[in-house]
Amino acid sequence: MIFNSEISGQQEHTTSPVVTGGSVIALVYNGGVLVGTDTLCSYGSMATFKNVQKIAQISKNTIYVSSGEFSDFQQVVRELAKIDRSALQYDDGVHPSPKDYGNYLARLSYKKRCKINPLYLQNVIAGFDNDKYLALVDIYGTYLESKFITTGFASYFCKAIISNYWNENCSLDQAKQVIRECFKVLFCRDCRAHDVIQLAYVDAQGTHIEEPERVETKWDFNGFKYRANEKLHTQ
Amino acid sequence: MLKHLYDTDCVTWSPQGKLFQVEYAMEAVKQGSICLGLKSNDHVVLCSLKRQPSELAGYQEKQFKIDDHMAIAIAGLTADARVLCKYMRTECLEYKYTYESHHPVGRLVFKVAEKSQHKTQSGAKRPYGVGLLVAGIDPNGVHLFETCPSGNYYEYKCQAIGSRSQAARTYFESWFHLFQKSNLEQLILHGLSAIKKAIMEDEELNEKNVEVGILGKNQKFTHLNAQELKNYIAQLETFNPNSQIQQE
Repeated sequence: MIFNSEISGQQEHTTSPVVTGGSVIALVYNGGVLVGTDTLCSYGSMATFKNVQKIAQISKNTIYVSSGEFSDFQQVVRELAKIDRSALQYDDGVHPSPKDYGNYLARLSYKKRCKINPLYLQNVIAGFDNDKYLALVDIYGTYLESKFITTGFASYFCKAIISNYWNENCSLDQAKQVIRECFKVLFCRDCRAHDVIQLAYVDAQGTHIEEPERVETKWDFNGFKYRANEKLHTQ
Repeated sequence: MLKHLYDTDCVTWSPQGKLFQVEYAMEAVKQGSICLGLKSNDHVVLCSLKRQPSELAGYQEKQFKIDDHMAIAIAGLTADARVLCKYMRTECLEYKYTYESHHPVGRLVFKVAEKSQHKTQSGAKRPYGVGLLVAGIDPNGVHLFETCPSGNYYEYKCQAIGSRSQAARTYFESWFHLFQKSNLEQLILHGLSAIKKAIMEDEELNEKNVEVGILGKNQKFTHLNAQELKNYIAQLETFNPNSQIQQE
């Protein structure tokens, strides 16, 4: 499909993703920024890698998450880590702020898009540097700062839940509940979603990445257990 | 000492361990007219004495804005200063384009120093003949740096470079303990007083031959205009640093 380059001798650019990560939901709350993803990387429609940490901590007060091609996600993590390492050279104690990372990623994405070889990602940078910071950088290099961000299918299924149950001054627990509810809906409706999610938040104290958790979903409906009028299971 | 044996180019050491070409370049800085800088907790002030090549000419500007948060004052070869100024401005613009924030000051001074050092280690190049006082404000605080043709750079609370700068430095040594807590007005008056120590007997400080630039935590780099300069110079008559001590 994409591997004609060796035959034709021409460089071809990747235009469709192979291993993909699912939706990302990020919300600002009263003390910081909360981000949630599921822990699945899909190989097309096959749920291949089910225990993947897709939340990267790139500095003391910044986290980076994305949905889309997972190898691009891994590459971006390396690219962003490079910026902070270069600070060692100058020995001045100045580290990039979350905004610096966001803007750098926007420039990088835009450059690659202009060469028709994009980073196949919707990127979310969340951080806390005197104030909460949340930004989306999309596949085209568009840079948008916002109080809440949804990528992938979450943009379609979850905005109603977010607008009904969340506001930017809610508590951390309230924000977590909203995200859990969103991923419940996503697991039910999005074929590439998973019911194990991972939450991470950045506040004035720094970054906290939590252990993966399973969202509660109910599948023991009679309609699933029994076919039509037939009783499959003995009581 | 047979200096002339060892001072032809940058790639020759003297037996005493000196690079004479670099030292000669630093002499060029000492020939330039005086410029000085001093900083408080919130502001940096740059003062310089402008030279007029002849009655018919204008006064040579010595302070250049690099970015909203950074400016330099030069002493030495103006042409070399222009090259460094252009380099610094370009770096700031690129940083702003990539990160949407201001270039950290110390880092840019490091880059300039690196560039300067490169010129001291090549057979076909000569060192820059200009010293810069770099004033800047970044999240790390308020900064004043001096760069040398040798490629060294130093951070200062206050510093003067150029001809007769020792007189200004002597003034600073007496009063620099007051600068940290000074307000902007006091800082400017200290700067002008220091410059006054460095002018010749028959020269006079006026709004034409003095240049004062200010940077503040909430203030982009600006020059004082002619009227403001006149007012400050007039205030010099009655300015008494001792009164500042009494206030505290």
